Amino acid sequence: MGLEQSIAERSEELAGKWADLILGTYPSETQAVWRSNKERFSNPVGHAIHTAATQLVPLLVAWNDADAVAAALTQLVKIRAVQDFAPSQALSFVFLFKKLLRQEFAKELSAQGALEELLAFETRVDNLAVIAFDIYVAARDQVMRMRVEEVKRAHVNIVRRANLMHSDVTAQKAE
Amino acid sequence: MANILKPDEMIRSINYTPPATEWMETPIDLSPGRFAYPAKLDKVEYLMHEVPGVFGNPRTWNPEDADWKLPSNWKEIVVNGFKERLDKYRSLKVFMDICVRCGACADKCHFFIGGGDPKNMPVLRAELMRSIYRGEFTLAGKILGKLTGARVMEEDVLKEWFLYFYQCTECRRCSLYCPYGIDTAEVTMMARELLHLVGININWILEPAANCTRTGNHLGIQPHAFKDIVEFMVDDIETITGKRMNVPLNEKGHEVLFITPSGDAFADPGIYTFMGYLMLFDAIGLDYTLSTYASEGGNFGLFTHSDMMKAINGKMYSEANRLGCKWILGGECGHMWRVVNQYMDTMNGSLQGPQMQTPVNPITGTVFKNAKQTKMVHIAEFTADLIKHNKLKLDKSRNSDIIATWHDSCNTARGMGMFEEPRYVLQNVVDQFYDMPTNTIREQTFCCAGGSGLNTEEIMDIRMRGGLPRGNALKYVQDKHGVNTMACVCAIDRATLIPLADYWAPGVKITGLHELVANALILDGEEERTMNLRQEPLPGFEEE
Repeated sequence: MGLEQSIAERSEELAGKWADLILGTYPSETQAVWRSNKERFSNPVGHAIHTAATQLVPLLVAWNDADAVAAALTQLVKIRAVQDFAPSQALSFVFLFKKLLRQEFAKELSAQGALEELLAFETRVDNLAVIAFDIYVAARDQVMRMRVEEVKRAHVNIVRRANLMHSDVTAQKAE
Repeated sequence: MANILKPDEMIRSINYTPPATEWMETPIDLSPGRFAYPAKLDKVEYLMHEVPGVFGNPRTWNPEDADWKLPSNWKEIVVNGFKERLDKYRSLKVFMDICVRCGACADKCHFFIGGGDPKNMPVLRAELMRSIYRGEFTLAGKILGKLTGARVMEEDVLKEWFLYFYQCTECRRCSLYCPYGIDTAEVTMMARELLHLVGININWILEPAANCTRTGNHLGIQPHAFKDIVEFMVDDIETITGKRMNVPLNEKGHEVLFITPSGDAFADPGIYTFMGYLMLFDAIGLDYTLSTYASEGGNFGLFTHSDMMKAINGKMYSEANRLGCKWILGGECGHMWRVVNQYMDTMNGSLQGPQMQTPVNPITGTVFKNAKQTKMVHIAEFTADLIKHNKLKLDKSRNSDIIATWHDSCNTARGMGMFEEPRYVLQNVVDQFYDMPTNTIREQTFCCAGGSGLNTEEIMDIRMRGGLPRGNALKYVQDKHGVNTMACVCAIDRATLIPLADYWAPGVKITGLHELVANALILDGEEERTMNLRQEPLPGFEEE
């Protein structure tokens, strides 16, 4: 049985283990709370971790829909982009899947002399990381843009009063 | 986002397991983005002069520096201040003693839910202060130390307080779940009071507090400029409706004094809500005046010290007395209503002049008995009453492009129990309305993560992670029902929910309630409307 097929068959189990590893990147007190609650609205981070892992494992196997991959990554990457992580830590969750793959399959594939199957699959995870990087940078850009726009909005009538309103400073683009 | 890692840290960072230290040993991180900027020297000096005994140690300082330039006896000041408050407020003493650490509040704070920092669990945030209470004031704590979860006051503890008591928006969602009714917002208030004594503060709170004290509004705009700004809005209303309105300003002898947060006068999109009030008052012929001295309903004193809050709040009655008004109508604001409902009568009730009376709606005759003590009515109650008595002509079709949801602002929801009135008004001016999930609205509502003076841009990351629970619920109704507008009755919400929605539910617009009311409101003698208050085309008028 090929690696892809094995992953596909164990998709749910692997997603659960991956989600578990991702939850492990948070402080222990937090893990305890987030692991025990699967409800979407009272635990949006835990929910996003499980959803992303569950959607991404089959997508990695199919590996034919970049838009779907990006969509499945978006919420979790956006969450980690504003949490208290360095950029490398924020995106580390992608590589945790690599760690999981090696843990689950390396020994067996190595014994069969089929380690290249694992290496080939791992390039998909590497690609997943660069897709995540695009989303991460877009999220950070957005945060910075929102900071500037907020200052402009807060003073819109003051700027008008000061006769500085020759052009609309809050306009999103040149008219 | 934390700092970029150094190469050696990067190598180690491949191990993604977080430090397994106990919270007391976890070091504090004061990198940029994790704190709001400290107050300017002149603002602190001004406030020390205006409200003596509340603020201290004016200086220029930077939280990133190791040396915070604290007074040499800072510890004595803080510990004595703590003791004084334990004696003064029975509630504080109870809150310090009674918590059994059951954990009911642990996962209820939006900052914890979105960010995952254990020190943002309300129980642990309060523990930052309780541990000092035990270590400094209880015999068991003094003898047994850490065994009882006690510690003594050190500079790092003070810095930790600064970090975490400014990651609490005093929204009181956690207290809703506390079986003992511990009001964590009041714990935060006490911690901030102690920090102010030694000059640890943030500018986004102290500058508006100073401005409100000096000129009456949060930006420090002077009366003549304030008048010009109101005129701009009158101009815009004329452009939209063809009607020119008279807006009384500082005029004596009117029945009602109208006070709204000054953000409504200066900031987009609050200005459209302000225009909405003016149009409503014109439609019903309300006998009212605005005041430039009391041109800020919001009270940034609430986020500093009870004396500061009292001083700012007192202006409302002073102006009502000076102008001879019988009662006060209050605009769409959040924490203004926490102050009005919970503290105003106790603090300043004695300032009410003999001319003040229990508010009566002059159009419907409704007596607002709920406002008997304070003489202040929330405009959502007022408008709901007008609609209930069929006193407004409304054309919902002007809002037919809107699929709305309602954000319960923490302070109007948990602080005054106002759930139905704004929904009633909203559903009378828009056709399509969908509530967000039950555990995210009404008394369980999630904060915008910018309340209690945290609506400043330098902590946008903190606000975004704290805003996740609200944004997540919003995204749900956006996906499920096509919601494209979230309405609210709070000026801080109108500012902070815009980036929150942009980030978590892109495409959802934020409006005040009375912006939507005025869009639908038919004024006598108006021209045919082709645009809404934002001067965007109304449905059916998109392209000429």
